[in-house]
Amino acid sequence: MFVEAALTAATAAPTSPAGSGEDSATRPGLAHRLRGAAPPYLYLLPALACLVLWTYKPLVEAAQLSVYHWNLLPTSPKTYVGLANFQRVLQLPQLRGAALNTLWYVLGLLPFSIVLPTVIALVTRRLGERSRTAYRAMVFVPMLVAPVATAAVWRWLYDPSGLFNRLFGLGDHNWLREESTALPAVLAICAWQMLGFAVLVVSAGLSGISPDYAEAAEMDGASRWQILRWITLPLLRPTLLFMLLMTVLLSGQWTFPLIDVLTQGGPADSTTNVYYLLWEFGFRSMDSGLASAAGLVFFGCFGLLAAGLVKLADRFSFHDD
Amino acid sequence: MSISEPLTAPSASAGAAARSAAAPSSAGAAAKDAAAAKDAAAAVSCSAGPEDTGGGAAAGTSRRRWLPTSGRHLLMIVLSLFSLFPIYWMFASSFRRPGDVNDNSLFPWPLSLENYRIVFDSLDVGTLLANTFVIAAVTAVGQLLVCLLAAYAFAAWDFRGKGLLFLLFVATWLVPFQVTMVSNYLVLSNIGLLNTLAGVIVPNLCSALAVLMLRQHMQAFPRELLDAAKMDGRGSWTTLWTVVIPNLRPVLASLSILLFITAWNDYLWPALVLPRANSVVQLGIRSFLGAEGDAWGAIMAASGLACLPIFAIYLVMQRQVIDAFVRSGLR
Repeated sequence: MFVEAALTAATAAPTSPAGSGEDSATRPGLAHRLRGAAPPYLYLLPALACLVLWTYKPLVEAAQLSVYHWNLLPTSPKTYVGLANFQRVLQLPQLRGAALNTLWYVLGLLPFSIVLPTVIALVTRRLGERSRTAYRAMVFVPMLVAPVATAAVWRWLYDPSGLFNRLFGLGDHNWLREESTALPAVLAICAWQMLGFAVLVVSAGLSGISPDYAEAAEMDGASRWQILRWITLPLLRPTLLFMLLMTVLLSGQWTFPLIDVLTQGGPADSTTNVYYLLWEFGFRSMDSGLASAAGLVFFGCFGLLAAGLVKLADRFSFHDD
Repeated sequence: MSISEPLTAPSASAGAAARSAAAPSSAGAAAKDAAAAKDAAAAVSCSAGPEDTGGGAAAGTSRRRWLPTSGRHLLMIVLSLFSLFPIYWMFASSFRRPGDVNDNSLFPWPLSLENYRIVFDSLDVGTLLANTFVIAAVTAVGQLLVCLLAAYAFAAWDFRGKGLLFLLFVATWLVPFQVTMVSNYLVLSNIGLLNTLAGVIVPNLCSALAVLMLRQHMQAFPRELLDAAKMDGRGSWTTLWTVVIPNLRPVLASLSILLFITAWNDYLWPALVLPRANSVVQLGIRSFLGAEGDAWGAIMAASGLACLPIFAIYLVMQRQVIDAFVRSGLR
């Protein structure tokens, strides 16, 4: 808030000495204001055009589809069914299971996208430049591996004759085919892939924090723990909220290719998540109306969740000044 | 504290001196001069922050530690091994003879390229890699450009509808790809971009993640430097390229890596747009995974080949990122 006020004051300042009298200041003032208002919109234009064309127009079309029954074939007719698709969505037991799994994926990923990365970033901050860079480079590597390659490697590790079973003497336990272990197995792969990236994000957030605050507190006799608790972590909060938002919204998309390649949602729907269910509705059973309705329901739910988180982030983001 | 103090003091006074030397030319009145000097002091104290990280860290190490350095190294070594082992195992398995694939030995011996021969015989690896590379590179550069401009608009201006427009960007995360897929596919077929690399690239040119990350870093960027550029008479376009982007170089390097990987890793959309015959490398592995059954050595070889170009690029880009950190630390 303070910064915004300072900026408007700064932009207003150059105009006032230019106009000698009050009457001459009003006319160029309006033109100047119009010209001054254009740049941000021009800078936004390319990105905005992409968004509207490739995200929001299709979304509107999905909303239209959601009240029809249509199997995606251009030759077959669309039948208007009103809100029947939404009713089916809310009554499907499959969907409740998928929503619960999605929640487990999010909760299971949080330690690896927020807690551990924060600890690691704090710990490596004090290490020497050279070794810190080397460690970071290494933990980031899993993020580089293409999901299908990741799935292939881990399927080989999890294989009944694979390394894990041989190493731990577990016989021929089939990790990805047992209901009890399939979801944690997929989750472990996703966590392995995310951890390094999360460490880099949190480290970037940490290095953006001026050490002046910590030094000032240190001079006042604050302990290391007090500095961490009352200075570093609060200043890191926007970064952590950003990671939280990302985990909540994207964990479904991150696990999607793994589920698709490794389990196809099975065994007995134990690894499926809401996105995979959408994919199945739309392209396996060709039920585009149901898929669109379900997509809109998820869009609404995630939207409410995200709105809450963004509000939270906004409240904390002005702490710095 | 005693270590970092001599480091900050000279740079701050030098910066203030430079600012006050430049100030009289732009502002005439004495009162304005004083205000400008105050402003400059604020700018220096703010901009000196990020550069001082090294000094602050050095001051920190001189204090009592809750975990000895060796413990920290051990933690990081364990984590690094955890991160690298599956990848190592992939390459180790790929270099075993096809009959030895179930060996437990850490080092593959005797070495064999037989698995790679199988892969090259059954897949057109060159075309797959070239297609994937073109798609990933063009997508990453396009996204960086488009999103840099958008993030700049959000970070440097206050304008009507800013909150709503920003929400539009954030909300793309909520729109499942699976909902927009059908309609985008139909659009591509209407404008004749189906079965082309451009058809894979064009719908992905805006990345909400890139906009958010860039905006976040631009907001952390000292506002006083932007104002100073404005006072120098630089337009917003020049300011973007001469002040903002050079200062964001480390962020841009790591972000471009991320965007390139994301594009390289995308396989659902290419699978829809491109014909199977000359598609991308992940779809190659995918078909291989189904066709070869339990020929794990060959599957690992194909996966390794898919990762190799990325690993090579990472080595190069990583050095740039490290350089940028070192240079900002030395100043």
